[in-house]
Amino acid sequence: MAQESTCPVREIRQEVASALAQESIKEPRARMRAEKLLVLLEDIAQGRAGSEHLADLKAVARSLTERQDAHGADLGQRILSLLESQGEIFQSHILTRNCASGACDMLAPAPCQMACPSGIDVPSYVALIGQGRYQEAVNLIRQDNPFPWVCGLVCTHPCEFVCVRGQVDSPVAIKELKAFAAEKALSEGRYLNPPKEPATGHMVCVVGAGPAGLTAAYFLALKGHKVTVIEALPMAGGMMMVGIPRFRLPREVIDREVAFIEELGVEFRFNTRLGVEVTLQSLRKEGFEAFFIAVGAHASHRLAVPGEDLPQVLDAVRFLRDVAMGARKRPGERVLVVGGGNVAIDAARTLVRLGCREVTLLYRRSRSEMPANVEEVRQAEEEGVRLVFLTIPVEVMGEKGRVVGLRCLRARLSEPDARGRRRPVPIEGSDHIMAADAVVTAIGQRVLTEGLEHLDLRWSSWDTIVADTITAGAGREGIFAGGDVVLGPATVVEAIGAGKRAAEGIDRFLKGLPQPTMPAVPVRRARLEPWEMAASLKMDLKRCEMPLLGPERRRITFQQVELGLGEEQARREAHRCLRCDICKRCGRCVVVCRDRMEIDALKLGYVGQPGESPTDFRMTSERCILCGACAANCPTGAMQMEDRGEERLLILGGTILQRERLERCQGCGDYLGPSRYLDFVRKRTSGLAQAFAGRLLCEKCARRATAESKSGMSVPQG
Amino acid sequence: MSEYYLFHDSSKCIGCLSCEVHCKENKRLPVGPRLCRVMTVGPKMVGGLPKVDFIFMPCFHCERPWCVAACPTGAMQKRAEDGIVFVNEELCVGCKACMRACPWGVPQWNPETGKAVKCDYCKDRVDKGLEPACVAKCVTKCLHFGRPEQMVDSRRERHAKAMAAVGWEVTLRQPTAPASKPRKPPVRKQAE
Ligand code: SF4
Ligand code: SF4
Ligand code: SF4
Ligand code: SF4
Repeated sequence: MAQESTCPVREIRQEVASALAQESIKEPRARMRAEKLLVLLEDIAQGRAGSEHLADLKAVARSLTERQDAHGADLGQRILSLLESQGEIFQSHILTRNCASGACDMLAPAPCQMACPSGIDVPSYVALIGQGRYQEAVNLIRQDNPFPWVCGLVCTHPCEFVCVRGQVDSPVAIKELKAFAAEKALSEGRYLNPPKEPATGHMVCVVGAGPAGLTAAYFLALKGHKVTVIEALPMAGGMMMVGIPRFRLPREVIDREVAFIEELGVEFRFNTRLGVEVTLQSLRKEGFEAFFIAVGAHASHRLAVPGEDLPQVLDAVRFLRDVAMGARKRPGERVLVVGGGNVAIDAARTLVRLGCREVTLLYRRSRSEMPANVEEVRQAEEEGVRLVFLTIPVEVMGEKGRVVGLRCLRARLSEPDARGRRRPVPIEGSDHIMAADAVVTAIGQRVLTEGLEHLDLRWSSWDTIVADTITAGAGREGIFAGGDVVLGPATVVEAIGAGKRAAEGIDRFLKGLPQPTMPAVPVRRARLEPWEMAASLKMDLKRCEMPLLGPERRRITFQQVELGLGEEQARREAHRCLRCDICKRCGRCVVVCRDRMEIDALKLGYVGQPGESPTDFRMTSERCILCGACAANCPTGAMQMEDRGEERLLILGGTILQRERLERCQGCGDYLGPSRYLDFVRKRTSGLAQAFAGRLLCEKCARRATAESKSGMSVPQG
Repeated sequence: MSEYYLFHDSSKCIGCLSCEVHCKENKRLPVGPRLCRVMTVGPKMVGGLPKVDFIFMPCFHCERPWCVAACPTGAMQKRAEDGIVFVNEELCVGCKACMRACPWGVPQWNPETGKAVKCDYCKDRVDKGLEPACVAKCVTKCLHFGRPEQMVDSRRERHAKAMAAVGWEVTLRQPTAPASKPRKPPVRKQAE
């Protein structure tokens, strides 16, 4: 069951409601004001509030304190002090239409959106794709993330790990859908920038044209600021460009999305390093008022074993960068890659494509501990990369200044420690030598601090800048920092999230607005009608398979591996979504049907404790009598009972769980209910006398018949 | 039958609906549910003049209530001490079984709460020694509430007749042809 934490909006709303219900506010004018407060609070709790609501709330609460009603005055006073201490939460409800605690039923956030570091409104864009509205889907994504296509190809998709559909079968292919929408909108020429706000005259300098810097540039430019990006490399994209190989992320994809940022008037200065070609002082002199330090983690950690300085020992980051910039030389015939993360996998797969005969990846732990993406590990294996687990390198063996092998120890895993991590423990006497011509190390990255010392910022012991997690402020007037330089090596989407937060902080700084003290809650961008479909189809839709380039071809070219979803495939995939932005998975429907009605028709395992029971939408139709109790008790409107033509339907987030033909009143012919329902009632009352000789009458006809028989006259119809 | 009677002298009733209004007001009901109803029967020509009858229909608080039997959650109850049939809102899940079961169409739907609501003789008022809201505000004083032993004889007789008409005659009525052809049902968007 979704966690029921507390929310001040909900709590005070309930308090006002119960004060009114219990009539503890007596004075009529005080009562009127309390009623008005309830309306305002309800609007806020349901996402219908506008910019005026907070001011109204304050004014009404204040006037309530002035009434001659002790209870009312007390309530008014408490609302005022609540607005003082937790006003930000009220404001956030209004602006984001998301209640992070999930306590406000209509604003309970979808887990996928909450898991996305850039806060994309996943269910809404997935729903738009399901309806074939691709351009709107892209526009919606770009309100939170200017790189839908890049993320669609390389995002680590934390959203999919929490996707509720994963509890039914497998998660919605959220990432793939993003790439599909972006590509489709681009190819139709309907990928467009949103309108810019009028120019403010403020100048911002972004240091580093990676995902964090570019994202900040995008949002700042949209706010009307003049943004210049300085970049040490001769091209934009940062780690997306030089860290991720082309077979996963083609250069054109980055170029296209960067071009949209450039189109907003963002200026780029390439081959320009902070602390070398320019300094903070020189930039300030040019008129820049705010700075966003967003350099990547381009340096590698060292293995720290003897022999590491041999020329055939390469660090993966440098190696990938050289290949990305055009170098196509293979470092050796037999290459060992050390590491288990995505960079190690990328390096191994790149080595295969460069024509290395044998590429072996060594990892200290076992397969299940590998941090790399499962998909990519599988693709690497298909391409011929050999994986060797539980192996620790201890010395690079060289002869005549050339690498000839790597001396390794075997390892076993320790029992999990307090944090649940299992450490590799070397096994005595398990020394062995793996023959190799070159070794590529990918055991972690760090930030190159050269050039940044003169900024005079606080650094952590991991060589990262200490910055505010909410505003990105780095402790000095006008200086902000985010991305790898603050987080340590981060994912693309984490960097994008950091850029977005920083843009907000910088914008407020430039405009002299107060900074928030609470982390931003992602914005719910829409509440779209769910796509209607039969329960059996909803169950049968299995996660799409991404079509891939054949492994034969993959081994010899840098061509993109993922070929992209087809339109039909994408729309079907989108229809798998359970619309967790509407259904908050509180489980009330299940409880009512099972424990109160004792019908137990709903098999919705995903709304209960994980793994408690399986989900099968199809089973509802076996028992459901269409009484509507579940719908009447659903706090969000996700469960709906609806009469349509000759039928009554029960629909959960678009999934038709039950449909039955309706019986009619034998008096007026109006629809009464399905026979299963009528039988249910009949059975329960079977011990009692029959009224109207068992004729089935609607409520109106029954009342009329009763009145007629009391009066001995007939009631005209109508 | 409850320990109380609620007698309506239809010869004095002018169909002003004060009773309905005050019933709703007292229970703070939204648009839709009407717990007591004044049904207009007629007009019919009597002695060359058109005549209408106003029939007041509250809940009959049946001896063996259909609604109580039908309710799967125990929300619909009959008070042991005085026989008042009422809904416990806390327990009601809104399955409408009571509405379907009551032969007289008495329980109503409250769209605001998503629960059933019905005439309970204003038991909160009755417990305080007051009359039900409808009775208290009846303009012509044609509604009377009390214990049967307090009733004057003539009224008791009329009341017995009225109850007989409902509880007895109606129950045993033979099936007849529908009053009219089934009408084409209006298109409804939502099962309210
Ligand atoms: S089912 Fe849809 S809304 Fe729910 S978590 Fe998955 S993508 Fe998000
Ligand atoms: S409508 Fe069906 S699923 Fe819902 S409570 Fe009634 S029987 Fe259960
Ligand atoms: S459909 Fe069921 S689980 Fe979902 S919000 Fe409604 S009552 Fe809760
Ligand atoms: S609601 Fe209907 S069935 Fe229930 S007590 Fe009243 S008249 Fe009888």
